[in-house]
Amino acid sequence: MGRDIKRSRLLVLTLVVITFTLITIDYRTGRATSGPRGWLHSAVGAVEDGVTTVVRPIGRTASSLLHPNRYQNRADQLEQENAELRRQLADRDEITRLAEDLSDLRLLADRGQYTIIPARVIAVGDVSGTDWTVTINAGSDDGVTVDKVVLNSAGLVGTVESVTSNTATVRLACDPRSRIGARLEGTQLLGAVSGGSGPNTLTFTLYDASYRIQEGERLVTFGSLDYVAGVPIGEVTRVTEVGGLSRTAEVKPYASVGTLDLVGVVVGGPPADPGDRVLPPRTPPADGQPAPPAGTPEQGTAAAPPTAGAG
Amino acid sequence: MSGPHEDDGISPRVFAVAAVVLLASVIIQLSVVARLALPLGRPDLVLTLLAAIALVEGPATGALLGFTVGLFGDLTSTHVLGTSALVLCLVGYAAGLAADLTDRSVLAALLAIAGAAAGGTLGHLGLAALLGDGAVAPGVALPRALAAGLYAALVAPFLFPAVVAGLRRVRRVRP
Repeated sequence: MGRDIKRSRLLVLTLVVITFTLITIDYRTGRATSGPRGWLHSAVGAVEDGVTTVVRPIGRTASSLLHPNRYQNRADQLEQENAELRRQLADRDEITRLAEDLSDLRLLADRGQYTIIPARVIAVGDVSGTDWTVTINAGSDDGVTVDKVVLNSAGLVGTVESVTSNTATVRLACDPRSRIGARLEGTQLLGAVSGGSGPNTLTFTLYDASYRIQEGERLVTFGSLDYVAGVPIGEVTRVTEVGGLSRTAEVKPYASVGTLDLVGVVVGGPPADPGDRVLPPRTPPADGQPAPPAGTPEQGTAAAPPTAGAG
Repeated sequence: MSGPHEDDGISPRVFAVAAVVLLASVIIQLSVVARLALPLGRPDLVLTLLAAIALVEGPATGALLGFTVGLFGDLTSTHVLGTSALVLCLVGYAAGLAADLTDRSVLAALLAIAGAAAGGTLGHLGLAALLGDGAVAPGVALPRALAAGLYAALVAPFLFPAVVAGLRRVRRVRP
């Protein structure tokens, strides 16, 4: 028994040394998604896609558990028929929800004249629960490339971190390592949103100390070589810092991380900056009519962004 | 990575079956469990299952299983390679050390599994913070660890007997 314990202690020490070595090497060299890691990503992605397809309609699974198939007499037979109908209803609900999602996404993409590749989330995070990433079922075969903006019908979701042939890993905007150029609605002042404060809060930093951020102001992406401009990000909920050379504020993102399902990878944008027209109209009409996607009049031209005034 | 040794009390057959089950649990964790919008936090199926298996099979199997599964998880993630392997290896080892306690009471097994899930979650978050990868505030990390422990304690009364029975079966079928 004593020898056993000594052996297992030796084993665990060896393993810990191996992990320390791996951590050190990987930390120094940066993360490569090629080689065995990329291969494993695509293999696991295929399995995850399959699992998700089977498990997706959770409502359906739940209702089929509630209504087990057994029929000994007529009442039970009716019961079973009832369960079958219920299952079909649950399926139809799922299909209707997906269709609504897709049309919302399409509308948003049309407002910004974005070319999108729709995809579905097939895995969330990683085994340690510390990665703010999701895996989607579209990859390089579908035209997805690294560093593209990912959005859903509500707004910005994140950016593409790595791709395999049929899947892609999306770094969410709320990841502490994520940093995406942003500007306030109606202005051309450069700022950036970064994550790190939980799934429902982004931090907006405005590199211009002269501008006073107000609560309720809305943010869109600034746009750069890869990142498309004008994607709605969220709304300022609290101004946190007013001193120093920059202004920071807490932002509540439009897209909620907990319910991500259908997303779109923006692979192409309009030739000119779409301005603020992708944002929903400021004051929705009281009668509940879907308002026309009107661009705000003061933001028409796609002027070259002014350099950030470093105070 | 060294292969399983007979003299360490690691049965290759048990190790292979447990490793396959745990790898499947990683995928279920990512594709199913992580998507459930549960209150407080989310259950960690991998840590719970690993702790249950280690409680039956002892520290050597626990550590080696944790290392293997963690490495698999690391390779399919975007964080620094080896971090999950380290945490899961230590969790498997620690749970394995508690194996003797579970012979006396079922409550000890329950507590060990819940503790492993909570400790493992804290370990993951702590290591991520240490490497500057995804630091979360202690006010976020502690509730998440507690939630993971709580869910593990809820699942354990069903999971642990199933794991014990399953492993016994795997051993018995052995030629």
